[in-house]
Amino acid sequence: MSLLELKNVSKIYGELHALDDVSLKVEKGEWVSIMGPSGSGKSTMMNIIGCMDKPSLGEVLLDGVDISKENKKNLTTIRRDKIGLIFQQFHLVPYLTAVENVMLAQYYHSMPDEKEALEALERVGLADRAKHLPSQLSGGEQQRVCVARALINYPEIILADEPTGNLDEANEEIVVDLFHKLHSEGTTLIVVTHDPEVAEVAQRTLVLRSGKLHKEKINENFTGKIHFND
Amino acid sequence: MFLRMIKGILTRQWKKMLMIAFTIALGASLASAMLSVMLDVGDKVNQELKTYGANITVVPKENSVLNELYEVEGSGGTGAYLKEDELGKIKTIFWAFNIVDFTPFLDTSATLDDGSEVQIVGSWFDHHMELPTGESLDAGIVSLRSWWELKEGSWLDEQRDGDSADCAMIGVKLAEKLGVSAGSTLHVKGAAAEKDLKIVGIYDAGGSEDEQIYIPLNTAQALADLDGCVDKIEVSALTTPENELSERAAKDPSSLTVAQMETWTCTAYASSICYQIQEVITDSVASPVRQVADSEGAILEKTQLLMILITVLSLIGAALGICNLVTASVMERSQEIGLMKAIGAQNVSVTLMLLTEIFITSLVGGTVGFFAGFGFAQIIGRTVFCSAVSLKPMVVPIVAVLVVAVTMIGSIPAVRMLTRLRPTEVLHGR
Repeated sequence: MSLLELKNVSKIYGELHALDDVSLKVEKGEWVSIMGPSGSGKSTMMNIIGCMDKPSLGEVLLDGVDISKENKKNLTTIRRDKIGLIFQQFHLVPYLTAVENVMLAQYYHSMPDEKEALEALERVGLADRAKHLPSQLSGGEQQRVCVARALINYPEIILADEPTGNLDEANEEIVVDLFHKLHSEGTTLIVVTHDPEVAEVAQRTLVLRSGKLHKEKINENFTGKIHFND
Repeated sequence: MFLRMIKGILTRQWKKMLMIAFTIALGASLASAMLSVMLDVGDKVNQELKTYGANITVVPKENSVLNELYEVEGSGGTGAYLKEDELGKIKTIFWAFNIVDFTPFLDTSATLDDGSEVQIVGSWFDHHMELPTGESLDAGIVSLRSWWELKEGSWLDEQRDGDSADCAMIGVKLAEKLGVSAGSTLHVKGAAAEKDLKIVGIYDAGGSEDEQIYIPLNTAQALADLDGCVDKIEVSALTTPENELSERAAKDPSSLTVAQMETWTCTAYASSICYQIQEVITDSVASPVRQVADSEGAILEKTQLLMILITVLSLIGAALGICNLVTASVMERSQEIGLMKAIGAQNVSVTLMLLTEIFITSLVGGTVGFFAGFGFAQIIGRTVFCSAVSLKPMVVPIVAVLVVAVTMIGSIPAVRMLTRLRPTEVLHGR
């Protein structure tokens, strides 16, 4: 059984089909990139997979559960238990320190554990910045805190929405390396990106266009490492 | 973690919270100022109104019947009198502290040398008496008729001239008619004695008193041979405005239930005080001067209504201010709230966090506002009533409840917005 399966999913706003009869499967431990121009339906798909929205038509099976039929409260619970979210704009709580931001995800999941949160920050190389506020961290550091927060509850899937969109090359490489590490540990990754270099490091790239699945590309030379063209 | 978040927002984003606390403080200060003044204004207004004279009169029972029948005042020639030696008992009733002043009167008449008859009233001026309770009291028309204007001479001073001095104060019209001035002597012939009264002062009362002569009570008793008798007592008391219960009790106390009787007795209604005065003064009927009592009640009620209106309006203003600020705060923090929801926070958790922040802020703002309001109350008290406004303990819980209620009501739109906020709307800003 696939970890995630979309069956003929459509999201319709009036006349607009933001997603139009999309079907796909993501296996456990897979690293998938979703690409496409603006308005192609990437964010809509991300919202549906991330239990933040429901499709107008079709079924979305996450770990065997049809999340398209769940209510808002249950969707929050499923999202909390199974999904780790990473955003382009980091979205750290400005008045909480790095470690507290990581603990926030633990708090809403189960029980905050500062030691574990510090270990998560250590995994992303930010142990020494644990007590800093987001305003005292660089963009790359903030995104690493965001990654630590996403992985702290051992989610089934990490959903990253333009995770390198606001980063320079050096930080982009650090974040992609972190994804590689998570993938090698068995975490399923779905990364929405505009950046072909980031998309190409995934095992599989899906290209959306006008709400439809336009192309699917398997990366034969998957290494999980980013190579920048000079 | 919850406390860390609250601590974080309160300590690291204190400027935003300070604005909310300030609005709450403003509302709370107005509420506590108005409530303090409102709860104290009864006594203050009463004190002010006492300067306009007595609000209870006590007459012999027989006279009262005639007065009611023929609508006249005074002894009515029945020959019934009250006993002067019982006057001190008025200050021994349950509402003794509400009795501000009282003065006995004895109306008599005397003949002048030219054969004309004048009305003479015996009374206290600034009479000093030792009460059965061991306390002392200075009472008399000097304080009870404070609006009388002295035209010539000085007030009659019983403590200087003696209780039985042959001194008199004469009304301005009578003085003019008789052609006398302060320092003159008038020979009067009463029913039992003749006196040479030295006029120490001429007053202008603006009424029928201007054609009368006021002399010490003992002197009047000697003139009329009515030793120890008075025919009327005027009492100035601090009273609570009358209501249906007090009016019913005034007509027939026996019609009240035990609980109503207890409420009536334990409330300073004029009728309740009258009832108690009747119990200590033999064969007397005490009745409120309806016009004064009603005016007092009306003024008091209107003043209190004004205070309530100001309090309500200030609280509505505060609620609107809080509503705007908290809603603006939620809008400003929509990404943060959206994130919390995205990583698993249910609406209840986020709402609880917001309300806790607001509650703590309101606690700080409310406390500051309460003390500031008490300060405002002092300014109002000093400016309007020339005295301090006392802190009534009941203001504290009332203000606390109002602040919490107003804050929570003011937060409703923000909470509604927060619960409707969808993470997808705020987290994908590019």
